[in-house]
Amino acid sequence: MSIKTFKGGAHPPERKHRTEGLPIENVRTVKQVVIPVNQHFGAPIQPLVKVGDVVKRGQKIADADGRMTVPVHASISGTVKKIEPRLQPNNLDGMAIIIESDGSSETAFLPPLDGLSCTKDEALARIREAGIVGMGGAGFPAHVKLAPPPNKPIDLVIANAAECEPYLTIDERMMEEAPGDLVLGMAIVMRALGVSKGVIGLEDNKSHLQGQLESAIASRHYGNGITVQLLKTKYPQGGEKMLITAITGREVPSGGLPMDVGCVVHNVGTFKAIADAFQEGKPLIDRGLTVSGAACKTPKNLMVPVGTLVSDLVPDVIQIDEEAVRRVIFGGPMMGPSLPNWTVPVQKNTSGVLFMDEREAKVYEEGPCIRCGRCMRACSCRLSPALLNNALKANDLDLAEQIGVMDCIECGTCSYVCPSHIQLVQRFRVGKQLVRAKKQKEAQRAGK
Amino acid sequence: MPANNLLLSSSPSSYTRGDVRKIMLAVIIALMPSTVYGVVLFGVPALGVILVSVFSAVAAEALFRLATKQDPRIGDLSAVVTGLLVALISPPSLPLWMAALGAVAAVIFAKEFFGGLGANPFNPALIGRAILVMSFPAAMTTWHAPFGALTDATTMATPLNVVKLGGSVADVGAGFVERGLASAADYNSMLWTLFVGNRAGCIGESSILLILVGFAFLLALRVVQIVTPLAMVGTTFLLSWLLGMDPVFGVLSGGVVFGAVFMATDYASTPVTPLGKLIFGVGAGAITTIIRRFGGFPEGVTYGILIMNAIAPFLDKLRVKKYGFVPPAKPAKEAGK
Repeated sequence: MSIKTFKGGAHPPERKHRTEGLPIENVRTVKQVVIPVNQHFGAPIQPLVKVGDVVKRGQKIADADGRMTVPVHASISGTVKKIEPRLQPNNLDGMAIIIESDGSSETAFLPPLDGLSCTKDEALARIREAGIVGMGGAGFPAHVKLAPPPNKPIDLVIANAAECEPYLTIDERMMEEAPGDLVLGMAIVMRALGVSKGVIGLEDNKSHLQGQLESAIASRHYGNGITVQLLKTKYPQGGEKMLITAITGREVPSGGLPMDVGCVVHNVGTFKAIADAFQEGKPLIDRGLTVSGAACKTPKNLMVPVGTLVSDLVPDVIQIDEEAVRRVIFGGPMMGPSLPNWTVPVQKNTSGVLFMDEREAKVYEEGPCIRCGRCMRACSCRLSPALLNNALKANDLDLAEQIGVMDCIECGTCSYVCPSHIQLVQRFRVGKQLVRAKKQKEAQRAGK
Repeated sequence: MPANNLLLSSSPSSYTRGDVRKIMLAVIIALMPSTVYGVVLFGVPALGVILVSVFSAVAAEALFRLATKQDPRIGDLSAVVTGLLVALISPPSLPLWMAALGAVAAVIFAKEFFGGLGANPFNPALIGRAILVMSFPAAMTTWHAPFGALTDATTMATPLNVVKLGGSVADVGAGFVERGLASAADYNSMLWTLFVGNRAGCIGESSILLILVGFAFLLALRVVQIVTPLAMVGTTFLLSWLLGMDPVFGVLSGGVVFGAVFMATDYASTPVTPLGKLIFGVGAGAITTIIRRFGGFPEGVTYGILIMNAIAPFLDKLRVKKYGFVPPAKPAKEAGK
């Protein structure tokens, strides 16, 4: 099969070699977890426990009614010590439930459920009850993607195995160690959606996994209809829209969702979590992540309980060259937020923690735009970043909107390629907020 | 927990190592074959024009930025490129003070007054040249045969001049043989002589071959896009043919290839949008040819590009349709909802 891709993009240094071949190390014992209550994209939820409660691993500890909500579960057994705002990987203080471990390995999982024979409603309820969100980064509720309105027929389920962010290798390892779970997760989702076709979109820097995935598919009766599609190694290949366009040639309409072009996309980690939720009844309480960066002395692929403070992993699990650290990133270097310290919990959507040194984290002063057009060619959304930048600098929000600032997926490729190191995507993020604020004002005025 | 010293800027946290200096360096390297060949053809005077022009450009930029209390920007090498370009589109016999004036005018009037690097609406080197042509028409149109001292005895009309003054393409070939620049006067060897650049003309414009070498280098490094030069040269070819001129001769004889490769690809003064680039190239080629055919000058590249420079901001409105573009719904439909 030919290697597919999208137009535009860039190829930042991959730097995956440090952790590429390392098996996932399972961290079972942590002294405490700090579990942020709201780890999903959507409506807020509330704690179900109070300080002093004894909870078991797998027990639901926060939930709410509403379509765009996802519950949260205790990832270790122990006692609720505090419920207070803590720094989250999104750089905001959010309410978190702090559980101190009692050392027991008791669990309170859901009963196993056969995802290949249950009803669609049962499947969706299970996926929600297991607290599954998109594990690629955005944290979108998984069950919502699986319940498209009837006027949006779905014909394709895509597993996002691009892992286009530099450094990160956790998805790669997951596929190597548990390819069957990926296939099962996909089969369950395909069945729930009534779709007969599934595609695993794999960047060709991981082409060695193709045969393994294909034999995992072939050896399972429910693997029917699932294929592996190699994609060119290029950032942001794992962007949902870019992935869909590369695989199907369809373009998600502006302001729309993948379901508008008949696709449902989940990260491979999400499919694995779905498989676990059915096979073992295990909610999403463990998170695989890559710990890397030049200032990390022990680059690793880890599996830790959700809520584990990165600082609690030091020094037993990972060691950091504290002198050399200049930047701490949750996620990949292209989109992941930088944090002021590493006393921060691993969340459901934390794909990696990077400790960058001075050289890796080099920042540049913004120079004048020389109109070289590199950003224009790199923008996978064809947004003319150079012109958008001018519009925003001139505070011309109408023009910015016309050029398409609201369509920016904030992948950061423009800022990466700019020879003058202009803060393009950074300005677009602010621009989006300004446009939203302006629209709100206009709506208010119209309402009066 | 050590929290000092950690960088907290918004993502991305990884940046390309490329910078403006590297781009300018690539352009300088791409100009080197033509530059060296110009010195070989016309000797020390050409070298003098080049050095004086580059030095004046750099000095003018530095002094202007000093006087206006802006950070110096010598390091990005853009003034070197401007100075070099001014020299390469000047005749080799240009008095050195005029070369200096042209370079200073290019940097100060065309570039720094508009905000410096990236902000110039017109190509600085062409503005420098335009000012020189208007101020010193004689000096800017005195051409010399290659491989001779630049004296009155060795002045020689450029191929386009020969034709403008009523000569035929065959006369150009005869002229080459007479000066010992070609071994035969037939059409093909005349074209070959033009292609390798064994002719009178500006310091850097003559050798099409070496310009293309530089162009290939810039394309390989993805510093420039092929569309504008291709459109400009292609239009010159087609329109020359339509207007009854020899199209191959038209492309090989003047400065159109040099202009297309090194002027029409200037970042600041040309459109950034792909369609804009195409129209820019077509327009520049068309104006060049029309000036050659109907205008008072034998050559029209300078004005072809400068006139299109003025239109470039409008051409930038011809943006590519964004990903997932949905045509705006008609108001009537909205009302019906």
